[in-house]
Amino acid sequence: MIEVRGLRKCFGEVVAVDDVSFEARDGEVTALLGENGAGKTTTLRSIYGLIQPDAGEVRVDGVDGIAQPLRARKGLGVLSEARGLYPRLTPREHMRYFAHLQGLGRAETETRCEDLVDLLGMGDFADRRAAGLSHGENTKVALARALLHEPANVLLDEPTTGLDVMSTRAVRELIVQLRERGKCVVFSSHVMQEVAAVSDRIVVVSAGRVIASGTPAELRQSTGLEDLEDVFVALTGRRGAQG
Amino acid sequence: MKRLVAAFSVVLRKELVDGLRDRRSLLSVLAPLALLPLMLFVAMSQASESVERARQIKVPVIGAEHARELTDWLDQQAGIEIEQGPDQPREAVRNGDVDFVLVIPEDFAERFAGSRTAEVEIILEGMDRSLDRAVGRVRDLVRGYGRGIADQRLIVRGISPEVARPVRVETIELATQQQRTAMLIGFMPLILVMGIFVGGLQVAIDSTAGERERGSLEPLLVIPVPRLSIIGGKWLAATAFSLASAVLTAALMGIGLEYSPLQRLGLRLELDGGVMALMVAAIVPLAFSVTALQMVVATLARSYKEAQSYVSFLMLLPMLPLALTMNSPIEDASWRLLVPVLAQQQLIQGAIGGEGVALVDFVITVLVAAAFAGVCLWLTSDLFRRERIVFGR
Repeated sequence: MIEVRGLRKCFGEVVAVDDVSFEARDGEVTALLGENGAGKTTTLRSIYGLIQPDAGEVRVDGVDGIAQPLRARKGLGVLSEARGLYPRLTPREHMRYFAHLQGLGRAETETRCEDLVDLLGMGDFADRRAAGLSHGENTKVALARALLHEPANVLLDEPTTGLDVMSTRAVRELIVQLRERGKCVVFSSHVMQEVAAVSDRIVVVSAGRVIASGTPAELRQSTGLEDLEDVFVALTGRRGAQG
Repeated sequence: MKRLVAAFSVVLRKELVDGLRDRRSLLSVLAPLALLPLMLFVAMSQASESVERARQIKVPVIGAEHARELTDWLDQQAGIEIEQGPDQPREAVRNGDVDFVLVIPEDFAERFAGSRTAEVEIILEGMDRSLDRAVGRVRDLVRGYGRGIADQRLIVRGISPEVARPVRVETIELATQQQRTAMLIGFMPLILVMGIFVGGLQVAIDSTAGERERGSLEPLLVIPVPRLSIIGGKWLAATAFSLASAVLTAALMGIGLEYSPLQRLGLRLELDGGVMALMVAAIVPLAFSVTALQMVVATLARSYKEAQSYVSFLMLLPMLPLALTMNSPIEDASWRLLVPVLAQQQLIQGAIGGEGVALVDFVITVLVAAAFAGVCLWLTSDLFRRERIVFGR
């Protein structure tokens, strides 16, 4: 369960995030939908505590994410915008490194690694050095190292960006599986179809503000449009016309 | 606390493995180091050649035909070369054509044969002190020759030469030897310090600026462990590489000196295993400070390349004081113990010079290094907290 209230963050003169509030529940997939530069990444970084917001409140399973970032992060699995690997380590070594850092024991680490190698279909490249991996393989490793410690809350920053069809499908299936296991999943995207396919709740962000939120059905209803892409255009366009 | 230590050792292990797999960087460190013995050998050989050339004294002689035995004997002495003197010796010396002339009078042979004192003259201007050594050497040689002859004559007459020599003075030249040794001693800390700097550089950069550039820093910082444990692990890994490089440098330096013509240089340098171990021990604290400093600087850089040039520039820092003090004899000043690099230089010079290293001095350098590294690590940890650094704004 993740709660964000009145989040605000400025970079110099630029207001990146302005009074963002939303709630992401366990067993649900919450999408942060918005164009590039809307403030999705800054919002996510504030949740996992690498950005200190100027105002607002973040709670991860009730833990104050700003006052106690280390404790809050214990309940988080994060695929950050930066998802680089160590070129001289293999995917399995990456997983072990992160698992050990998360405090997992040896036996537990090996079981979790095997599970994730199977789950994400990494068998072919799990023992090859990361230097030669494709973008999709790279993302899978980054996902695996975020999920090793079975976090209750999963934050995914643009998980499918730049992926081919097969990898995109694998990521979507993963999101659905995480929901089925009762996780609280928050992911950001600017791709409408993807959001429509897997989200229970959508938070539409534009220019750092939440301009609409609700279930896909609620959003369709409030705008009177059937297609979610039209909904998105209508929402952001309406705001554009106003401001 | 347990988590902190656990995370710290996990990071340390990973960075060691990663660093060892970075073959190209390892090679770039090892290759110049491997050349070290060769460089030392060449430098020493050249130095000994130039020293020998400087020692070669040309002796212009007039009337050599009157004392063939003497001049031939002189010619055979190390560093002495007999040549034909000018016809007008006094004038030639006055004009500066030659520095001095050894004149053997016509009656030399006759007096010599008659066991009477035969005279030779050394004509010199007498103002130029720089000639003292050369002239003194010639004078000593001639006297030595004379003494040899005297000894023979006494023995022939059944008298022990010692009767005629109540006091004997032996002069041992120390100053020049010491100076040359001091120069070499000044040279060795510099090489060792370079070994320290070069060894840790790769890991220090790769685990900070490199980590950020390849986008692996953000995922690492998301893990709920204290930043200091992550930084501490990286730091110890870099230090391990730095120390390995220092040990290797010391060993290679030892090999290089073993095969260098130190004796011909008039150098007496005892570098046994004990002295080597002492030298390496003296430099250990420096490795901890240097890698910590390299990490702060590399973290400040915007890119890997930038970090490389900053950190390389850092290497010039210890060169300056070391180069300045290299030729001066070991100067005992306690304040040096408080300055990293200078402190290690002091200790190493003590170790090589045979005076050993005082435990209290070593402890002082350990404390200074600990404080220095502590400040650098705290700074790095603080930088890792900044959004500008983590996200490269």
